[in-house]
Amino acid sequence: MTSAVTIPRHGGTGGRTAVAARARQVVKAYGSGETRVVALDHVDVDIERGRFTAIMGPSGSGKSTLMHCLAGLDTVTSGQIFLDETEITGLKDKKLTQLRRDRIGFIFQAFNLLPTLNAIENITLPMDIAGRKPDRDWLGRVVDTVGLAGRLRHRPTQLSGGQQQRVAVARALAARPEIIFGDEPTGNLDSRAGAEVLGFLRRSVDELGQTIVMVTHDPVAASYADRVLYLADGRIVDEMHQPTADQVLDRMKDFDARGRTS
Amino acid sequence: MTVLKTSMRNFFAHKGRMALSAVAVLLSVAFVCGTLVFTDTMNTTFDKLFAVTSSDVTVMPKDAESEETAQNGVPESLPASVLERIRSADGVRAAEGAVAVMNVTVVDGDDDNVGATSGAPTLAGNWTENDLRSMEITSGHAPRGPTEVMVDADTADKHGLNLGDELRTIAQTGDFTARIVGIAGWKVTNPGAAVVYFDTATAQRQLLGATGRFTQFNVTAEDGVSDARLKRNVSAALGGGSFKIQTEKENADENRAGIDEFMGVIKYAMLGFAGIAFLVGIFLIINTFSMLVAQRTREIGLLRAIGSSRRQVNRSVLIEALFLGVVGSVLGVAAGVGIAVGLMKLMSAAGMSLSTEDLTVKAATPVVGLVLGVVVTVLAAYLPARRAGKVSPMAALRDAGTPADGRAGRVRGVIGLVLTGAGAFALFTAAAADKASEGSLFLGAGVVLSLIGFVVIGPLLAGGVVRVISAVLLRVFGPVGRMAERNALRNPRRTGATGAALMIGLALVACLSVVGSSMVASATGELDKSVGADFIVQGNQRIVPQAQKAMEQTPGLAHVTHYKVLDATLTSPDGRTDDDGVTAADPTYAEDLRRPTTEGTLADAYGTDAMSVGSDYAEKHGVRVGDILTVAFKGGETAKLKVAAITDDDTAIDQGARYLSIDTMRKYLPAGQIPPDMIMFAKAEDGREKQAYAALKKALHPYPQYQVRDQTDYKQELKDQVGQLLNMVYGLLALAIVVAVLGVVNTLALSVVERTREIGLLRAIGLSRRQLRRMIRLESVVIALFGALLGLGLGMGWGATAQKLLALEGLNVLDIPWPTIIGVFIGSAFVGLFAALIPAFRAGRMNVLNAIATE
Repeated sequence: MTSAVTIPRHGGTGGRTAVAARARQVVKAYGSGETRVVALDHVDVDIERGRFTAIMGPSGSGKSTLMHCLAGLDTVTSGQIFLDETEITGLKDKKLTQLRRDRIGFIFQAFNLLPTLNAIENITLPMDIAGRKPDRDWLGRVVDTVGLAGRLRHRPTQLSGGQQQRVAVARALAARPEIIFGDEPTGNLDSRAGAEVLGFLRRSVDELGQTIVMVTHDPVAASYADRVLYLADGRIVDEMHQPTADQVLDRMKDFDARGRTS
Repeated sequence: MTVLKTSMRNFFAHKGRMALSAVAVLLSVAFVCGTLVFTDTMNTTFDKLFAVTSSDVTVMPKDAESEETAQNGVPESLPASVLERIRSADGVRAAEGAVAVMNVTVVDGDDDNVGATSGAPTLAGNWTENDLRSMEITSGHAPRGPTEVMVDADTADKHGLNLGDELRTIAQTGDFTARIVGIAGWKVTNPGAAVVYFDTATAQRQLLGATGRFTQFNVTAEDGVSDARLKRNVSAALGGGSFKIQTEKENADENRAGIDEFMGVIKYAMLGFAGIAFLVGIFLIINTFSMLVAQRTREIGLLRAIGSSRRQVNRSVLIEALFLGVVGSVLGVAAGVGIAVGLMKLMSAAGMSLSTEDLTVKAATPVVGLVLGVVVTVLAAYLPARRAGKVSPMAALRDAGTPADGRAGRVRGVIGLVLTGAGAFALFTAAAADKASEGSLFLGAGVVLSLIGFVVIGPLLAGGVVRVISAVLLRVFGPVGRMAERNALRNPRRTGATGAALMIGLALVACLSVVGSSMVASATGELDKSVGADFIVQGNQRIVPQAQKAMEQTPGLAHVTHYKVLDATLTSPDGRTDDDGVTAADPTYAEDLRRPTTEGTLADAYGTDAMSVGSDYAEKHGVRVGDILTVAFKGGETAKLKVAAITDDDTAIDQGARYLSIDTMRKYLPAGQIPPDMIMFAKAEDGREKQAYAALKKALHPYPQYQVRDQTDYKQELKDQVGQLLNMVYGLLALAIVVAVLGVVNTLALSVVERTREIGLLRAIGLSRRQLRRMIRLESVVIALFGALLGLGLGMGWGATAQKLLALEGLNVLDIPWPTIIGVFIGSAFVGLFAALIPAFRAGRMNVLNAIATE
């Protein structure tokens, strides 16, 4: 088994560690006794700052659960999760909510936007909720990056699926979170729109220094990442750096074959 | 069969969402059934009572009226000699003379009235064989002499009377005191009358002021002789003449007639309020089904795609409504019986005793409840069901998040505007009407049209009104307020219907409060303007001579005015007659009530053989000062009286009264026919008002049936009475408002379910539970305030129109009770907060992961 843990080292950005989030011996189990299902089985993982990480695996491998736990959306059965130096396992709902609001960004597969708010209102929503003023320059830069300048007053229903996901990306970026978590952000998009959104995510890592974690089962999407983690049966079974779509696909086929023969 | 199965599964799958609708149906049905059971029970009680109080055949004087006594205040009676003639008739087993009067007041040693406070009468009479059918002596013995009295057990209980206590009976013929020697218990339920018994001679002397006379004869038939036959025989034996002869049934029916009228008013008023609750419930049901259909759009689309017909889909929704109607109605019928028992307890608290032994649930009651509940529910669900049928198979394929129903149709706008316009026009016409009858027709039409118009146009108004309310109230809540506003606006039809349900109840509250407050203001204004008397004395018994005397002898009074209402037939110079009677008063009445005249001087009308008429009468019959009217006094002579004044009828007090002096009356009416005073007025000597008021109160203390009031107290009393009436009506309207609040809860609860994913998203990106709950509460407040604003506006419009119309009847002052209106508005905000309690709590508890999990 390959360990996904890297030696913590101090990076150059503002005295922060180079690891944005860490999971240590994380177990997530549902039910008890005979019906007990283990979704995450003593997972150790480090998410590197300023890098684009993809989590892959077959359905039921626990990849979404891992992301939910890392993001403070779900609780763990045992183990610890740190966001930067903050341990988030054991935090009360109020603190967790604050943490998500101030330090984490989200992009979901679908239903990312509030239908009653227009694009710009959706983008600034996390800051509005927190009662913070958005940084005008940064906001302008984000909006420009995702290419939505002309559509900021549109309601979600007036936008295409790709545009909606770009608004979601902009919302995630606008508050300058430490990490953005994406749950199949391109799952509902055609390949062109998907490529567009992934391109923005890549650029936000390269140009804005953003940390991104994305769950996907699409090898093409995974190829935009710096590093791919493979999950199976609740464990991290492999990882790959600077992947290409073909490499990812091969590896997947490999797992599938192994899964069948084992 | 499959349709039925799907419907049933849907119904039980969504039983939580159906619960509030079921409660609405339950409440409305319960109110209807409760009313029916309650009134039926009262009827049973009275039936049982009258069945035992009426003898086989009753013989009374021809003019005997069941409620009122003769004009002179002493009941009509028959000589004892009649008894012998009755006894001589065939088939008579027994006959006895009875004295029974209602125009008395009985007080205990502390001068406290022992009569019922519920409006039931005090009965006084002799103890007869017939009374043994309804009562039995539980302690002591029957009265045997002039100083002995027996009282019924209920009254004794209520007032803590014991054997040996003294009771004073205040009759038209004088006061007399007797000691309690017996207490008699009822064998049936006595709804409230206080009854006292004397021996026959005492009853005759003290109650009728004569010996050897009876107010009625109770005749018992021999075995095998029918009541009708006995009646014929008695009638033959009496040889016609001035008698009223009734069988047991006829007598009971006559006794019932008066009560039926009263019960009818209660019954239909309460059913009216139940109807309003039903109306409000309809909105709730429509909303529930609309939302369920909207949430199930994909499911329905799937059904359609795999081959269900429109009718099947349509029917499946209606069958769900049927289940809802049946469940709600069955529970409602049961709850109705509970409500009836509750009402009976309430009545007991108000001094009217009813027994649950008499609880009457007629077969028709559950039938009416069930049919009403089911039919209303299914009808209300019809529109949503039709919409469900219209869902296209494509809906199954579309990834519809929340179905947007944002566009309220233009057709709706036009229809709403036309209806509202027509309503406004009708209201304006009503306000400008010259005749009350015509105007009230327009008022009714205006109220109905404007209400429907507002309901139809509500969704369109929701946009503007909600924005205004939000601009004022929600801005301070920042983004949470903004989201609440947007949520309230996203489905105007839903917000409109939810608000409209609240609107109906509050419109009625506003309308009635405006009318009530205008009533008080107008009457107070009128009192200030025209009443010159310092003190007003009146009560539910005509003022007996001994009380009149006590008042006349009170020190410190400048004058005392007697006021009597006389039966008389009037013939105007144009030959037309009417039986509206005249008012006889002392000339000082012109000071006590300053009435402006259109012609002549009011003081002159109190001259010998003079009188006044009202301006309406004068106009109608072309009567002028100096004309002669023919006045035929009942029980007296016919007089020719000269019109000396015409009073202006633009007033609320004594409108249309025709005055003449008591001296004039005495000329034509023999002393024995002169009625007791209806009201008395008095004026204090200058500067001695306070002392005079105290003295007058003291003088009339032994006569608790009369209230002595100065102008301030009189106004307060008036205000209290109107206030009490309004509170009662508000209480009944509370049901409709409760149903409307359920509607708000329902809408919010379903919205929360509908927006599960949205809420999950918000929570995921950092909205705290508290902010989430606040968002839902604010949405609720906005909806409630929207309903309140519309309702209060509409209601004030109705109220103002009603006042303009009633100005014809003397309701001259429009007084809008701002404290009430503002109170209701602020109260609505709290109602909104309250309605959001559970939905907000549930939204806060929602699991973020479930909420955002993709299907």
